[in-house]
Amino acid sequence: MPKIKKKRMGFVIDLTPLVDITFLLLTFLMFTAKFKSEAEAEKQFTIRRPTASPDTTRLPERDLAIINIAIDDKNPNDTSYYYGLTNTKDLLQVYQLVPEIPQEYYNKALVKVDTTVLGKLIRATLSVRSSTRFAIDADRRVRYKWVEDAMNIMRRNRAFVFNFVTDKRRAEEEKAGGK
Amino acid sequence: MAGGGGALEIPERQKRGKIVRRKKKKRIGFRIDLTPLVDITFLLLTFFMFTTTMLKPQIMEMRIPPEMYAKVEVRASELLTLMLTADNKLYWYKGIADANNKPQEIPIPKLRALVIEKNLEPMVKNRLITVLKISPDANYAKVIQVLDELNLAEIPITEALSKEVDEKGEPVKRQRKFTIAPLTEEDLKLIQGEVK
Repeated sequence: MPKIKKKRMGFVIDLTPLVDITFLLLTFLMFTAKFKSEAEAEKQFTIRRPTASPDTTRLPERDLAIINIAIDDKNPNDTSYYYGLTNTKDLLQVYQLVPEIPQEYYNKALVKVDTTVLGKLIRATLSVRSSTRFAIDADRRVRYKWVEDAMNIMRRNRAFVFNFVTDKRRAEEEKAGGK
Repeated sequence: MAGGGGALEIPERQKRGKIVRRKKKKRIGFRIDLTPLVDITFLLLTFFMFTTTMLKPQIMEMRIPPEMYAKVEVRASELLTLMLTADNKLYWYKGIADANNKPQEIPIPKLRALVIEKNLEPMVKNRLITVLKISPDANYAKVIQVLDELNLAEIPITEALSKEVDEKGEPVKRQRKFTIAPLTEEDLKLIQGEVK
């Protein structure tokens, strides 16, 4: 008896999982693409923060004024102050109160400043919104002088409470430190 | 598609006047394709795994007093002075430093134990003022490390104090007295005197 040939059937691949994943990745990438703030995008530096013991207090996101004390990536001898505000509405008003800030900087979220302008910016920030919180985000390699000066400027401009931004110390560092 | 069930059915016989019981169709087990569910689950899992490692920086709160020119007199015996020099070494002394009471070097990790011990001495309990003198050339990371050790020392101090009661019968509240000052030439001389 001759063998009956099985009729070959056309096959179907279910594309649902592929489409699911594609959409998910798409939405994911769409969201993550926004994560970087304007201030970060403009940064010419990377801050290597000092480490402290683990703490639950986190950096607030709203109405925060950050004083960056950073070392330029391209020029390691160049340390400077940068001032940034997370509230972009306030930022423009603050800039307008400080005549030293040129108009072309008005759309920037972060400005490089010297000590006099820093003081004026702090005062302007407090006059625009008195509840603004301050943070000093300094590189761990800088000399204390830079931080001390920033603290004195804040004191003079009546910003008495502020935060030092730190990173969590890892367990292995803790061990090494305890020896 | 699923033709097997229909073809195997035996045609029902009709009997006059009688209701014939319909033969029950055999249920075929059904399957749900779990692939999309698993896909999404894995994806969410990896997503959360990645996002949780994105550590947000933490903060250390500082309060600085307004500028004051009025002199405040304190007892020397209630003063603990810590000095962080330009070469990132930490020295300490209690009271007033002199030939008998020289500043001593202490490694930063051991600072916590020292501060706890000094703060809980019966004579100065809850009254000790900690002064941290920092050289402008000291490294900022070291400053944070010292501040961190001082903050960590507060936990056992507060705990030990809360076990005691004041004259009103209430637990003693920790009153932290801490200040930061610049390191002067005179302070450096004190340290160098110890080195020689």
